[in-house]
Amino acid sequence: MATLHLLSQSPFASRLDSVLRLLGPHDGLLLCGDACHALQPGSAPQQELERLPDSIKLYALAEDVAARQVGLPERVKTVDYPGFVELCTHYAKVNGWL
Amino acid sequence: MAKSMLLISRQSPWGGPGAREALDIALAGGAYELPIGILFLDDGVFQLLPKQQPAAIEQKDLGANLQALPLFGVEDLYVCRQSLRLRSLDGQPLSLPVTPLEGPELANLLDRYDLVITL
Repeated sequence: MATLHLLSQSPFASRLDSVLRLLGPHDGLLLCGDACHALQPGSAPQQELERLPDSIKLYALAEDVAARQVGLPERVKTVDYPGFVELCTHYAKVNGWL
Repeated sequence: MAKSMLLISRQSPWGGPGAREALDIALAGGAYELPIGILFLDDGVFQLLPKQQPAAIEQKDLGANLQALPLFGVEDLYVCRQSLRLRSLDGQPLSLPVTPLEGPELANLLDRYDLVITL
């Protein structure tokens, strides 16, 4: 009863790693949707986020955090949708990692 | 003065439409002499491998579009060295002259452009 496992996705994909590599010292990172799982306490992504310099601001969309019941580290600020829009205007540019 | 734009192309050449779409944006912008740069990141670096045979999966070659970039004035081409290294491609011949960047050079690159689009 052995199984043939089919794999078609790239073995190299991790958006979070790439975002962290490109973050500048005064950039911000807003987590929304499933990216909020990066806040899972004690997980590898959460620890990577904790290691970022204090000058990098971390935000998460409040409703996505609530829906997923993930923890909220002290340095992460939650925002609602108006707050999301405000952040977009606060930074010189926005880069969406689709 | 037109706004400058950095395209971050991070999709493999044949995994979806992203790679071709990023090149289309670059070529269209180049045709209008807009200041455009491209950073090949993550699986996007696989676009730069020479001698691909997309006909085997009934796809059109991206190589011609890539080679057209300099002709359309898109000459600011960069590649993430870490992405190359993770894929064991560092030092391999690539189909275009690209400037490898790593560490803080990457964030500095983003800082130089008015707009950034990641595909």
